[in-house]
Amino acid sequence: MGGQKQSRAGQGYSIETITVAGMTIKEYVSSNGIVFAVAWRGTGAPDLPRLFGSYFDEYRDGLTALQNRKPRIRKPLVLKTAHLVVERAGHSRSMWGRAFIPALLPATISPDDIQ
Amino acid sequence: MKYFAIACAFISLTSGCGGGGDSGGGGVSPPPPGSGNVLTVSVGASSVCGNNVDLLCAQVTICQPGTSSCQTISDILVDLGSFGLRVFGSVLSISLSQEVDAQGHPIGECAFFADGSALWGPVQFADVMLGGGPAVRVPIHVITSTFAGQSSSQNPCNSVVASTPRDAGFNGILGIGVFIHDCGPVCETQSNNNLYFSCNASTCTSTVVSLSNQVQNPVSLLPSDNNGVILALPNVPAMGAQALSGSLILGIGTAMNNSPPAGVSTFTTDQNGFLTTIYKGTTFGQSVIDSGSNGYFFPDPSLPLCAMPIQDFYCPASPANLSATVIGTNGRQAAISFQVANASSLFQTGNDVFNNLGGQFSSIDWGLPFFLGRTVCVGIEGRPSTLGTGPFLAF
Repeated sequence: MGGQKQSRAGQGYSIETITVAGMTIKEYVSSNGIVFAVAWRGTGAPDLPRLFGSYFDEYRDGLTALQNRKPRIRKPLVLKTAHLVVERAGHSRSMWGRAFIPALLPATISPDDIQ
Repeated sequence: MKYFAIACAFISLTSGCGGGGDSGGGGVSPPPPGSGNVLTVSVGASSVCGNNVDLLCAQVTICQPGTSSCQTISDILVDLGSFGLRVFGSVLSISLSQEVDAQGHPIGECAFFADGSALWGPVQFADVMLGGGPAVRVPIHVITSTFAGQSSSQNPCNSVVASTPRDAGFNGILGIGVFIHDCGPVCETQSNNNLYFSCNASTCTSTVVSLSNQVQNPVSLLPSDNNGVILALPNVPAMGAQALSGSLILGIGTAMNNSPPAGVSTFTTDQNGFLTTIYKGTTFGQSVIDSGSNGYFFPDPSLPLCAMPIQDFYCPASPANLSATVIGTNGRQAAISFQVANASSLFQTGNDVFNNLGGQFSSIDWGLPFFLGRTVCVGIEGRPSTLGTGPFLAF
């Protein structure tokens, strides 16, 4: 996977951009090396188990609970779990999403900057 | 009954605008309403889709390829946010032809949606008839959570996928948005696309699939009427309606009954199918107009959110009158007025159709309420029409 790193050293984080099979993925990495946010856009969905790591099960459980609600609402996803905020939107050819861990967000970045 | 009366009045209105067509098919009589290139679409009227709000559904006829063994399937979600036909295998009583790769392995697919959901199952060839028109042979997605030894919780989609129409809220999805193929060039060239899979008894591996073998918009394969669709829906009162019916007309300006209404504007989408919307001074470049979403979804911190469990919806004390500007890549723009009422009050009516249901999101999704009381034309990519060449939306 050819990655590209953009430094935002002055702001205490860097962004690594990876392109895989029509999907562009950005990882937001804090100065101490922790990934605190990811964003993606492209066709389909990225490898979320790999991207979310230990948070994947929390994401999946939250999503399942949301989808079991009645009435079942079809809308862009906004999911807030104990540690994670996830959004997904677009249409099947051009989907985008982002996820971040609010507790780990550096003060120099707002959620709107993650995209 | 009064809503069906509204629907009938509307249908006569749309057929009334069929004059002046430029089809050049001299001597060809227009098809009678309800057949040929017209599908009846409804909200709240059918057994599976009727369990949900603002969910637009139709029926399609699917045949075993090359035979007269056919089945009509109801409760098919009409979706501009996806491309191609998907039907639960559990509702099929006919057998279709499995698509295979060069080694003879069956092809399976994951389809992803903006709500975070995914569907899994084999890709199979079917002869599909829309609205009594000619059959087209097309790869469709047969939704089957157990295909190739997988399950609703363990599958290549890395998602909990729906196992039954009841889980999903529909028997299938008819994706008739601006694109032809559900994946496109990426899946033709990149084997690690994680959408198409070559499967054996219990293992599936991501694989390339040619454009012609991808699940695709059946409208694009019609012998005529293949440049897009027109979705014409009546409006509903402020507190909603129990049910509604309207028309999905195939083709734009290709027959006597599908001339666009006078005065519609064409908004060309970008290469990703997005339009731009400006709302309260903020520009959203990835806006969608999507009949498969159940409400208006947009960010507005001044509107109070509802209490659990509908906390994603807005619950203003009185209906909010709002406006936004939609812009196409062709520079065309239009102000859109819309209203958002208290979702909790709307749901308490027990109605299924609302033109003023809104909820929170960080970008803009003009869902089904946008379509009520409108005639919206959807131009397929690369196809010329009297409104221009797709991809576009016109209203």
